Amino acid sequence: MTAGGADATAVAARGPAHAGGPTVCDSATAARTGAAALRIVYCGGCNPQIDRAAIAAELVGPAGNAHTDERAGAAGGTGGPVVYLSGCARACASGQRLTSGAPGEIVVAGEAVDGRPTPAGDIAATILKKLKE
Amino acid sequence: MPLRTREEFIRSIAELDLKVYMFGDRIEDYVDHPIIRPSLECIAMTYELAQQPEYQDLMLATSHLTGKKINRFTHIHQSTDDLIKKVKMLRLLGQKTGSCFQRCVGMDALNALWSVTYECDQARGTDYHQRFRTYVQYLQDNDLVADGAMTDPKGDRSLPPHQQPDPDVYVHVVERREDGIVVRGAKAHQTGACNSHEVVVMPTIAMREGDEDFAVSFACPANAEGVYYIYGRQSCDTRKLEGNDLDIGNARFGGQEALMVFDDVFIPWDHVFLCGEVEFASPLVERFAGFHRSSYGGCKVGVGDVLIGAASLAAEMNGVQKASHIKDKIVEMTHLNETMFACGIACSAEGVRMPAGNYQIDLLLANITKQNVTRFPYEIARLAEDIAGGLMVTMPSAQDLADEKIGPIVEKYLVGQCDTPTIDRMRVLRLIENLTLGTAAVGYRTESMHGAGSPQAQRIMIARQSNLDHKKELAKALAGVGKPWDKEKLKTPGAAARA
Repeated sequence: MTAGGADATAVAARGPAHAGGPTVCDSATAARTGAAALRIVYCGGCNPQIDRAAIAAELVGPAGNAHTDERAGAAGGTGGPVVYLSGCARACASGQRLTSGAPGEIVVAGEAVDGRPTPAGDIAATILKKLKE
Repeated sequence: MPLRTREEFIRSIAELDLKVYMFGDRIEDYVDHPIIRPSLECIAMTYELAQQPEYQDLMLATSHLTGKKINRFTHIHQSTDDLIKKVKMLRLLGQKTGSCFQRCVGMDALNALWSVTYECDQARGTDYHQRFRTYVQYLQDNDLVADGAMTDPKGDRSLPPHQQPDPDVYVHVVERREDGIVVRGAKAHQTGACNSHEVVVMPTIAMREGDEDFAVSFACPANAEGVYYIYGRQSCDTRKLEGNDLDIGNARFGGQEALMVFDDVFIPWDHVFLCGEVEFASPLVERFAGFHRSSYGGCKVGVGDVLIGAASLAAEMNGVQKASHIKDKIVEMTHLNETMFACGIACSAEGVRMPAGNYQIDLLLANITKQNVTRFPYEIARLAEDIAGGLMVTMPSAQDLADEKIGPIVEKYLVGQCDTPTIDRMRVLRLIENLTLGTAAVGYRTESMHGAGSPQAQRIMIARQSNLDHKKELAKALAGVGKPWDKEKLKTPGAAARA
């Protein structure tokens, strides 16, 4: 089974027991986003067009306290916003979807945020703006 | 045991106290030897990336045996998604190391043996599969590197193993005991052998009656009594002894091959996975080769990414990046590289579930993948050399650049585009040299040709699986072969047009 058929919510909820699902990190970004803890779901990074780690670092703030390396819980996760962070347009982190449709979920796939072309340098700011909205 | 860190891995290899020989001497401190260390760093990268969240989707998998997170290199593929992620993981590691990172051969051996031991048990009533399950779990639980050892020296290729004047040119059983077997022989050009905790041995060719002693598969610790290694030379390897990083091209990473010798090594039965069942040698070889040929659709692509990047940089540093022929050559390199990747992905996406429950790549497409790999890296390398220019092989040494008197002269005449420091231009050209002619060329060029089987081996497999009869039927149907033909129609003026 490939990841292609999974919807984004299901991808987020796979948790640690799923064989090779995208990697999820909890992030303590409440201060910056005004919301519950942010979760970042990474693709594996085989041929990235953007620097995923740098974008994640921008999202979690200079303290770098987000990468607790704590895998998302099972179904339901943390309930906070989710950023699917794929290095290229193949969108592996979000199950090959360029948009989620679910509230609180943002899909980055290379130089695109929720399917809209976004220069690499603007991705983090675009995400933060969306989270505030 | 949780996933090991890179430091824990390196320490664990040092503690094995392997018997490694190079230049006629026993190398005691092989972990820190300047020629060996870069190859160790490559495998260490498979541990390092597994610790980083942004790579774990590819680097980790969930064991179907324990439900625990494991390094994908110890995983038995459970889906086509696993097969695809394997190829992507290998590309990632090729990008990060620019070298052969050695750990895939063991992974491919485990996956081949998983199904073959199962099928042997079904046919012969043996209990190899249960032994093998236990062994795989041991590797997973301890996050170990297993070296997959297949290629025997083979001696006179016109003779089967049991007719060789010296039977030791194939690994074989020399004694059967109540508690195990004793094996003798050697495995040639073993990738990553001195960087592995364990060795997984398989037969190297199809076997027939009379070859029973040679149809043997087993595992043993890399430091088992009687096992030793004679380190393989690589082009330009002694540059690593010169004490500077510039002339090496890729100072941190490199590949490794060794001649692995089994000098009457005892193997307990619980580590024996095939012993005399000659009819299972062929499927084991075929499946291992299939898995390994698909792997090349990932690792060589990752190294190709580095070479394409280096060629582009060289063009910029020469100030020719806007020339149309340069741009076209970069496009051609990318086209070739992504074609190999497409093949690796395709044979994975078309994988099937085996009776043993694991997933296997499509063998025809895996052989197509590898056949392309026997050619495309050579063309990519040729284009990189074309773009780089002759300086990549005529540059003065790092010592000349560092010399008080000669250095400024080298600096002056090797300058490229005005804002590029000469040292950086030299670094990029040395990297291209490393990949196309130096130590890394072992992995990127000749290993692309012969690793996982030489080109003719793939062509035999392609011929076997080409489904030629079906293709002929297609052609016959469209051409109308065998249909009655009414030639009388042609004798009436205008009949052909009316028909």
